Amino acid sequence: MIRLPASQNTRVALMAAATSITMVGAAFAAVPLYNLFCAVTGYGGTTTIATGEAGAILDREMTVLFDANVNRNLGWEFSPVQRSMTVRVGETALAYYTATNITDHPITGVATFNVAPFKAASYFSKLECFCFTEQTLQPGETVQMPVLFFVDPLIDEERRLDDVHTMTLSYTFFESEGDAASSDAAP
Amino acid sequence: MSADAATHDDHTPSMWDWRRWVFSTNHKDIGTMYLLFAIFAGIIGGGLSGLMRWELAEPGLQVFNNGFWGNEHNYNVATTMHGLIMIFFMVMPAMIGGFGNWFVPLMIGAPDMAFPRMNNISFWLLPFAFILAVMSMFVPGAGGDMGFGGGWVLYPPLSTSGHNGPAMDLLILSLHIAGVSSILGSINFITTIFNMRAPGMTIHKMPLFVWSVLVTVFLLLLSLPVLAGALTMLLTDRNFGTAFFAPEGGGDPVMYQHLFWFFGHPEVYILILPGFGIISHIVSTFSRKPIFGYLGMAYAMVAIGFIGFIVWAHHMYTVGMPVDLKAYFVAATMVIAVPTGIKIFSWIATMWGGSIEFRTPMMWAIGFIFLFTVGGVTGVVLANAGVDQALHDTYYVVAHFHYVLSLGAVFAIFAGWYYWFEKIFGVKYNSLFARLQFLFFFVGANIIFFPQHFLGLQGMPRRYVDYADGHAFWNMVSSWGYVVMLIGMAFFFLVLIDAIIRRRKADANPWGEGATTLEWTLSSPPPFHQFSELPKIK
Repeated sequence: MIRLPASQNTRVALMAAATSITMVGAAFAAVPLYNLFCAVTGYGGTTTIATGEAGAILDREMTVLFDANVNRNLGWEFSPVQRSMTVRVGETALAYYTATNITDHPITGVATFNVAPFKAASYFSKLECFCFTEQTLQPGETVQMPVLFFVDPLIDEERRLDDVHTMTLSYTFFESEGDAASSDAAP
Repeated sequence: MSADAATHDDHTPSMWDWRRWVFSTNHKDIGTMYLLFAIFAGIIGGGLSGLMRWELAEPGLQVFNNGFWGNEHNYNVATTMHGLIMIFFMVMPAMIGGFGNWFVPLMIGAPDMAFPRMNNISFWLLPFAFILAVMSMFVPGAGGDMGFGGGWVLYPPLSTSGHNGPAMDLLILSLHIAGVSSILGSINFITTIFNMRAPGMTIHKMPLFVWSVLVTVFLLLLSLPVLAGALTMLLTDRNFGTAFFAPEGGGDPVMYQHLFWFFGHPEVYILILPGFGIISHIVSTFSRKPIFGYLGMAYAMVAIGFIGFIVWAHHMYTVGMPVDLKAYFVAATMVIAVPTGIKIFSWIATMWGGSIEFRTPMMWAIGFIFLFTVGGVTGVVLANAGVDQALHDTYYVVAHFHYVLSLGAVFAIFAGWYYWFEKIFGVKYNSLFARLQFLFFFVGANIIFFPQHFLGLQGMPRRYVDYADGHAFWNMVSSWGYVVMLIGMAFFFLVLIDAIIRRRKADANPWGEGATTLEWTLSSPPPFHQFSELPKIK
């Protein structure tokens, strides 16, 4: 039987094995990459976190609708104080949500959020939001939770967003998973 | 080394020596074990689909009514396990493990696989993975209900918080082991094909079946680890408090779908590509012509493999994607029709003007080409995000993927089975029974799945144990189709029994001058060790 030197087979096999191990790594790298991708593109309605106010205030107006949802495992009532608000693009606005713990024990909740239409989500900038941190409510406690936001004036430079006159900000409150949750909750 | 091999040639170990099989390092023996394993798993997977068709024959609960076997949950367990078993334990072992192990070394003129002992491990991991999967059906899954019923895609949260019992953990372990088996097999095939081709067999002279296996194992190598990663995340989400897919912990269940389909879409090409290779040989053999457009055929498979990695989100049009992203996935998905069309038209061009013989394998091959094309056309329909919005998770999708897999991949397996039966087992088969199997299979499978297009367009959703009365007629037709196909399976076993009893000595090359690949230059069955003297390819 004629055999090629074993080392050559081993080399190809090791390269193939390394490829498959790299792909396992790529699967796990998907977690940070996925967050990054969402933040950059507004994919799935991911909003932008702003550090300062918008540079300019335009004449264009935007109607912002507020939506609230509660995961069925969470014993809270959660609703927006105002159903909608009309703001000028670039203008900083303050909206409130109200949440009540209707159970007899303290619960920590965390909110996920998105903005529709998705294509405009990355232009929705939040300066301050209750969704950035976990919220703990005592039994029966009601709190008002603020969202400080503006619509980025750069939206006016995107032709494909010219038809956007309404944005819907939606939150869903979940019971926090505890320790594991805290650091990841606010991307 | 060569003197050693020569003495080995004359003593083929006895068939009844258990060590020959358990400790086997022989690619032909391992291939045979893969094929028998696939038949066994196919019986169980096919039996599950029988329970489903029985249940769905009429509105109301026939089977899963706490009488025969479990409740409505167990119907979903049956759909889940039917899918997983048919994919991981029937089609993949038959095509890659079975025909791949048997004929890749023979076709490239190699004495064996590059790593014979690793080949042994690849095979023997599979029965254990299979046992774990079957066990999962009989341990608590969701609450007091037995088994995992969340569909073969294993989407969270149903597969995490939705199934708190050990069934899902067993299933994860089973798929991990099956995955390791496939990855080891892939490494083996890549090394074999790259390093062990006979002198003169350049990469552009390789038979198309070898090409198809090469592309397939590359897809496996790149996609299966991603599934392994996603499954590991499911496992840690379930048991160790991570929140990869839990929104309450900052995760995202949609990310699982992305990871799963990054594996899942190449996986469906993994299931069909070796079939493309098999069909090419059969069409060429029985048309007595070389395959039309050999290089085009080979690189069409490479193109299908490549595009297969960049279309995954067409399985997820309904998760809430931006329109622009949908537009990309629609366009990319439709591009697949181009290399697939090259293959279909090249097969037809091969037959064109050939002296065609309708031997048994050729009937299966032509059946394959027709049915696969039907499935391909509905695939282009489903590729449209707008249309898919309405058809997502309906029976139209079920009909589509059964046309390309149940009628495509399975027909290709039977085509290969009857093409190489004599070569593998060294005995002839009764071609009348084999043709009757084809007849009942072709008619039965079409009666099962064609009406499911209608059901899907009527809006009947997948994965439900019951349906509205308006769907009753075509469901009844579909279930009768199963009976017809079952008769076909009876003929399959009749062929086996007949061959075992009559033991007519096989010819080295029963197909005549059309069969040009190297396996036909050897006796049937081939010697236990072949090509001690490497063949020269001109």
